[in-house]
Amino acid sequence: MKIKVCGLKYSKNIKELVQLPIDYAGFIFYPKSPRYVGEEFNAAIPALFPKSTRKVGVFVNEELNVLLAKGEKYKLDAIQLHGGESAEYCQKVKEAGFEVIKAFQMNDNFQFESLNEYEDVCDFFLFDTKTENYGGSGRKFNWEILENYKGSIPFFLSGGIGAQDAEQIKQLSHDKLYALDLNSGFELQPAKKNADQLEIFLNKLELNTMNKDKYAVDERGYYGEFGGAYIPELLRKNVDELQENYLKILASEQFKKDYARLLDNYVGRPTPLTKAGNLSKRYGTNIYLKREDLTHTGAHKINNTIGQILLAKYMGKKRIIAETGAGQHGVATATVCALFGLECIVYMGALDVERQAPNVARMKMLGAKVVPAISGNQTLKDATNEAIRDWIANPESFYLIGSVVGPHPYPDLVTRLQSIISEEIREQLEKETGNPNPNYVIACVGGGSNAAGAFYHYLNEKNVNLVAVEASGLGVESGETAATITIGDIGFIHGSKTMLMQDDDGQITEPYSISAGLDYPGVGPLHAHLAVSGRAQFLSATDEEALNAAKVLAESEGIIPALESAHALAVLEKMQFQKDDVVVLNLSGRGDKDMETYMKKFN
Amino acid sequence: MNRIDQLFQNKQKDILSIYFPSGYPKLEDTLPTLQLLQDKGIDLVEIGIPFSDPLADGPVIQTAAKQALDNGMTLQLLFDQLKDARKSITMPLILMGYWNTVYKFGVDAFLAECQKVGIDGVILPDLPLEEYQEEYKAKFETAGVHNVLLVTPQTTDKRLVTIEKAASGFLYMVSTASTTGGALQASKEREDYFKKIAALDIPSLIGFGIHDKASFQHAASFSNGAIIGTAFIKALEKGNTVEFLESLQ
Ligand SMILES: Cc1ncc(COP(=O)(O)O)c(C=O)c1O
Repeated sequence: MKIKVCGLKYSKNIKELVQLPIDYAGFIFYPKSPRYVGEEFNAAIPALFPKSTRKVGVFVNEELNVLLAKGEKYKLDAIQLHGGESAEYCQKVKEAGFEVIKAFQMNDNFQFESLNEYEDVCDFFLFDTKTENYGGSGRKFNWEILENYKGSIPFFLSGGIGAQDAEQIKQLSHDKLYALDLNSGFELQPAKKNADQLEIFLNKLELNTMNKDKYAVDERGYYGEFGGAYIPELLRKNVDELQENYLKILASEQFKKDYARLLDNYVGRPTPLTKAGNLSKRYGTNIYLKREDLTHTGAHKINNTIGQILLAKYMGKKRIIAETGAGQHGVATATVCALFGLECIVYMGALDVERQAPNVARMKMLGAKVVPAISGNQTLKDATNEAIRDWIANPESFYLIGSVVGPHPYPDLVTRLQSIISEEIREQLEKETGNPNPNYVIACVGGGSNAAGAFYHYLNEKNVNLVAVEASGLGVESGETAATITIGDIGFIHGSKTMLMQDDDGQITEPYSISAGLDYPGVGPLHAHLAVSGRAQFLSATDEEALNAAKVLAESEGIIPALESAHALAVLEKMQFQKDDVVVLNLSGRGDKDMETYMKKFN
Repeated sequence: MNRIDQLFQNKQKDILSIYFPSGYPKLEDTLPTLQLLQDKGIDLVEIGIPFSDPLADGPVIQTAAKQALDNGMTLQLLFDQLKDARKSITMPLILMGYWNTVYKFGVDAFLAECQKVGIDGVILPDLPLEEYQEEYKAKFETAGVHNVLLVTPQTTDKRLVTIEKAASGFLYMVSTASTTGGALQASKEREDYFKKIAALDIPSLIGFGIHDKASFQHAASFSNGAIIGTAFIKALEKGNTVEFLESLQ
């Protein structure tokens, strides 16, 4: 939950507030308000707040050009419209580049349908107590009526909130409640806030535990310092269109219904959580396997392609572009395109086309066009470049990316679509052991989508250890590796700021792993953030270790894993577990596609 | 005064700009190519910084960049090659490349080198405007280096307002939705787009798909001039640059 403190004016007072976790600072530009900043207000005062605090100007039925001029002068990020402004007016403010917060006055008879026309032209609503004088009454409205709000726009809760309300606020569970608007309840005199009282109140709210979003993406697509959308202007409109639509569509009832139905009766979810008895004995602990290998097409990739194809459909797209390395994502994309009757073009490095012949044949049988990427080193990185170039030349197409990589919103979009994995693990584990939280979650990382899905609902559960396993190829020191976090540093690839394998001159280097699905020189920005912040532990496994781990699983549990998943299995050998530990390992895919490699090694 | 600003002050029509990758076809070709371009009366030059993953470029520039990298080209080497360029080169010079190479080099070090060798502007297509404005704009301005921004047929009117406000030097008007080296088809829609951009307060050059005298003249009739890249690289490859440049006159 975000915090807005409104009705600020005095620089001395603001200096007492800047160290508090305030997300929005409100300045009132309505002359009749007792907290009006005044004619001579100094533009340096809002700037006392750090950049991370957004500056909001509050206006009531102001002339548009006056408002815009003030917005510019005071470098406001957001405009709060607190009068009877029309939807057209809001739109004009939004078009001028401001975030728009439209305030509405609540009473028990408030008709939430009247907000419909504002949905497309506002970023947020603000619900305040109905008064004669445009707010500032110091009274609360009946919060129960919020249940009637079913819209898609997140809202600020305002009106008379005071120090005594912390407990009641913690009980609020509306999924669109975005922020608290604090004003008169924390004042020494109008426009002068009581910093001590605010601090106590904010501590009581336990924002850190309430904010489930410590590892969530911010509005601009960053996880900590990683992410963003580093794309040429040529892609801007496409990416903006996706950014504007994805959350709305994912949250819609229709999408949720279609997605759940397809996961259930087409993909074959929920996938089992198998207690691996023999493996548990071998390592002296309790090992559970999350069986993504049992999905349709044989890997977790389909969770994502089902979601994105629905998104493409709702956005009216007819032509689908994808990249693939091992061919798993290509097959999963070709599959959903066949299901939805959409044109499908898959870029695949020319070298991988040769290495992964069975998957190429599957894609073709499913009706996809497979285009070999002949640029660069002709593997996944180059296939991704080609897919993006296709998207530049065909902006009406939908780019269906295969992992938690690429420009914002892709990392967040794919993470959300894969989060079904940990959602199920929680339920299944709770049933099995009485506790939804394991001690460890282990997953392999190429771009990082299966790991992101397996970690997602545990990101803020400090007691759950997250273990990500990269492919170290012939060894991290060998130069023939794909262990990005271990040997990489900060850079930019495929539109994202992340950890990257590159040379001293900033040229991206070619990774190596026996497993084509882990053979990527970058990693999703969420994982870069988890690694740098220490939230997840990053280990690696060599080709050899992975091959041996695959053999162990086959012989002890009767399951042949994908080579990618075998890298996750390989670290079981290196880790120390307690007898009572519960270890969940995400078995991201099955080994059919890798039989040739296994046969070469074991026969 | 920045040489780009000077150019647009002195000349408003038919500005001819050429793009070529540094270190191509041979490692030491950067400076001789610059000299040739100046001798042939080219107004403005964009020098490519080679990158392993040039997302916005078509096959010809990709291949040339790869060749340059194979030759051993680096950003530091480019600055070294340009060390004495200003003894003879008076044209405005722009460096064009991808953000990763500049970031890795270090933005401060990069700008210091630009100032030292006399670079007037940069084109960094994958550095987002917002990040540029928040973190780097002040540094570029202090160094006197223009960050030339791109507009495309897909750029919305709303974003155009933002870009116009932030632009410096000139606007690089991408002619068509494609990577570099595509063909340019004339259409009413396209001409309306050209006219809309040309009507802005900042000068503009049209690029992508301009490949000979006719397409240059057509583009230049809507703007202050145009940029030729891929077609010149093909001439470098074939070794008929003199002939090609003369055919544009
Ligand atoms: C079975 C399997 N696991 C893992 C991966 C790696 O991708 P990610 O890190 O996005 O899960 C792949 C990629 O092809 C895969 O096929």
